Amino acid sequence: MDFYLPIAEVSVNAPLLIGLGALVGFISGLFGIGGGFLMTPVLVFLGIPPTVAVASESGHVAASSVSSVSAYSRRREVDFRMGGILASGGVVGAFVGVEIFRILRLLGQADLVVSLSYLVFLGVIGALMLTESLGAILRRRRGDPPKPRGERRPMWLYALPLKMKFPRSRLYISVIPPIVLGFFIGILSAIMGVGGGFILVPAMVYILRMPARMVVGTSLFQIVITTTVTLILQAGRNQTVDIVLAVMLLAGGVIGAQLGARASARFRAEELRALLAVIVLLVGLRMGLGLFVTPEDPFVLMSGFD
Amino acid sequence: MAMIEAPPPAVAAALTETEVQVTSGFQGARIIVYGAVFDPANRPSDVVVIVRGPEQPIRLARKSRIAGMWLNSRPVVFEGAPGFYMAASTRPLQDIARFGHLRRLGAGLDHLAIAAPAERRIETRYGVRDMVVSSLGADYLDWRRAVVRLKQKAGLYAADSTAVTFVDRDLFRAEIALPTQAPIGTYQARIILFQDGQPVSMRERTLTVEKVGFERMLYVFAHQRPWLYGLVSAIIALAAGWAASRAFRRS
Repeated sequence: MDFYLPIAEVSVNAPLLIGLGALVGFISGLFGIGGGFLMTPVLVFLGIPPTVAVASESGHVAASSVSSVSAYSRRREVDFRMGGILASGGVVGAFVGVEIFRILRLLGQADLVVSLSYLVFLGVIGALMLTESLGAILRRRRGDPPKPRGERRPMWLYALPLKMKFPRSRLYISVIPPIVLGFFIGILSAIMGVGGGFILVPAMVYILRMPARMVVGTSLFQIVITTTVTLILQAGRNQTVDIVLAVMLLAGGVIGAQLGARASARFRAEELRALLAVIVLLVGLRMGLGLFVTPEDPFVLMSGFD
Repeated sequence: MAMIEAPPPAVAAALTETEVQVTSGFQGARIIVYGAVFDPANRPSDVVVIVRGPEQPIRLARKSRIAGMWLNSRPVVFEGAPGFYMAASTRPLQDIARFGHLRRLGAGLDHLAIAAPAERRIETRYGVRDMVVSSLGADYLDWRRAVVRLKQKAGLYAADSTAVTFVDRDLFRAEIALPTQAPIGTYQARIILFQDGQPVSMRERTLTVEKVGFERMLYVFAHQRPWLYGLVSAIIALAAGWAASRAFRRS
């Protein structure tokens, strides 16, 4: 059953799209991630203009994150104050990111920057996660005790001004690092069409030293706010949001996410992380590969004229 | 009494459809051009059908290898390119008429008036004043050919020298295949009768491709009130996510 998307102006196979939404939803539920980094490349591969894919995907990420946040907040695992501070940086970042994307599009360099961002960020994060999780699996196999987590917080975090209390996370730190982090994630979210959880979560654990229990819920809360703002900005500035596409992805996504969350209980955490690392690494390499393979045609038509 | 002169040859034509409606089930459309040639003298006739979609500027970039990576050049804007173009004829165009006629009528992919005006400069060269040169230089033809080639690949440009067929003595038909990504707007179909290498009669028909119903509503909303559309989209997305979590919580 083919379905015509009014903004993307292409026809897509609706069951296929809903099925893909469910599959990505399953993966996102399984690993506790947004799944934007998987969905955006898949949409582009299906022939949806990249600009529309990136913009509409932010609607999909916002929706699936809302449904997860409400589950985490019932378990009191969301630090709303920290999430709000991160989001304040994120919103500014989204503004900047949408403008950067617009300029890149006019210069004809949007594809390059999107591919490079995927290659660098997913490649690095995937490689780090893979070594860390394989190390954990090997240690467990050999029966070694788990590596103690460094409890010492970096001093510079305390040397900065504008300190604030975050009772839920039991932190008393400067608001500057979370604002800068949020700003950076906001830019990425606009350019790559992702929520940014894959960078935010490790950064909150290793830089902000938040309790592991609070990290996922809080990052999802910040992602909801940032991607919602990105969605509105993309619609207002670029007219590239296809709500029909977003709703279709959502329909499959929410079901997949719930099934994934249930399935995740059957796996060990480090095995899941290793699997996720492999997926992240493969997506990054696949996106980056396009830059190095000789193109079929040396000329390309640029989408989005204005 | 003077001899009654035979009336000049003429062509008549019509389209099976003059309005194509784009709905959620839109998968492209096939429109038949049919018509007749009236010529008491029965001279050999050729019919050329040219369909042009609404004009759309094109941005084209060329990839080149820099430090092992394939990077885009600065995009070049081409104007005069229709969003859809089809040239159908009874025989290869170059057998039907001379270059000059084809060029004037814009008949055939080689005769589309595609140009990159922003790249044009007027200079004095070799002592000749007001020479028009393009900053694309000698590669200009490669660029122009690339526009046509890429549009052809997307199914938006086509030329077929056998697509107009005479089904009966003076009755002909041709088919216009509109792909899903055919642009919205007004299309011009020109049906030209050639005899002896000369265009002797021409008919023009218009065809509109428009979005209707829900698709049109969304499209117009998104382009005319983009901020409000964004806000509504955000509310829909958030509400859907929240509703989903409520539904699964109960089960």
